[in-house]
Amino acid sequence: MIVFDKNSQQQLIDLNKSKNIALEGNIAKVINTSDNGEFKEYIDYCITKDRDVRRRRLDMTKQVQSQNKELSDLNLENQRIMIELQHTLDSVEESKTQIEMQNKELIAWKEDNQRISEELHVAMSKSESARLEAENAKQAAMNDLDLLQKKSQTELIGTIVKVALGVIITVGIITTIMYMISLFMNKDTQIIGSTWSNMFGILLTNAFSIIGTIMGVKYASKENNS
Amino acid sequence: MIDSILLVDDEDLFHLVFEDACSLLDISLSLKSLNSSDEAAKLFKKWLTEDSSERPECVFVDLNIIGSSFDGIELIRKINFEYGNHVVIGIISSSNEPEEQAKAIQAGAQFWIIKSDDIEPRLEEFRNDYESYKNRTAPFKVYK
Repeated sequence: MIVFDKNSQQQLIDLNKSKNIALEGNIAKVINTSDNGEFKEYIDYCITKDRDVRRRRLDMTKQVQSQNKELSDLNLENQRIMIELQHTLDSVEESKTQIEMQNKELIAWKEDNQRISEELHVAMSKSESARLEAENAKQAAMNDLDLLQKKSQTELIGTIVKVALGVIITVGIITTIMYMISLFMNKDTQIIGSTWSNMFGILLTNAFSIIGTIMGVKYASKENNS
Repeated sequence: MIDSILLVDDEDLFHLVFEDACSLLDISLSLKSLNSSDEAAKLFKKWLTEDSSERPECVFVDLNIIGSSFDGIELIRKINFEYGNHVVIGIISSSNEPEEQAKAIQAGAQFWIIKSDDIEPRLEEFRNDYESYKNRTAPFKVYK
């Protein structure tokens, strides 16, 4: 314990009374006050005053500490939010990159589709041309066949007509010769005459009928060709 | 009353809180505060080899001391096993992790005081138990 002499004790007491300056801190707790009641009262006052100051300071320090902790927590929360934002941003950037890649792929697909479509269009045009050519060829072949058939028919008809005309002319000539012989030989010509007349009428009729048929066939062939 | 106390904590504001609380509770009249475990280790090394009269009677160490080479538990281990086991020593931290407390016991910590806004009741309780720590008769205790 620290011991002050009477004079020092009185000086400290007077200083407190005149200028309100008192001892502060733990020093007051280690001063011996057993021999002076007034000095003990002064030291008790110093200790109480120091306690009040410390209590106020402690409360304020705690308050500041609490505010610091809140600020620190807020800072941590901000950092956490910033990290989350950064993650979100990274995710968005990644999505953007993926979308860009998908867009590129889609554009490539579109170009491929366009190219394939053009190729298909060309192929369809070629196919259409080939179809038309085939149809033309078919038509030409059919025409040729028709012509061939008609030609064959015409030739057949011609042959028939020739044979028929030959037969008619031959029969006519024979009948005429027989009729003339009968006339020159003064034989009975009644039968042969009526026969020749009938025969000649029939032959002419048939001849004109054949000619009419030929003309009709030719006319019909011309209409089909046109 | 504890003769002298050393506080090792990186938080300056807590130095003020601890000093005022110790004064108001009459825990000790002599208090020294340090910000780093390196500085504390250096002082204990000095007290081991040179004058040990300044060595504190009780040491309060923060668990995580920012800006130091090692944490509070390592400082306690060094003080107990390298610089002589002459002090009452423990952790004062806002953490209450049993794993850390187990490590602290292994390092030689005698108590664990949890920091909070209302530190005075815990320090008062510690003050009442102090003699048993000094006599090495008290088991490890956590002041919640």
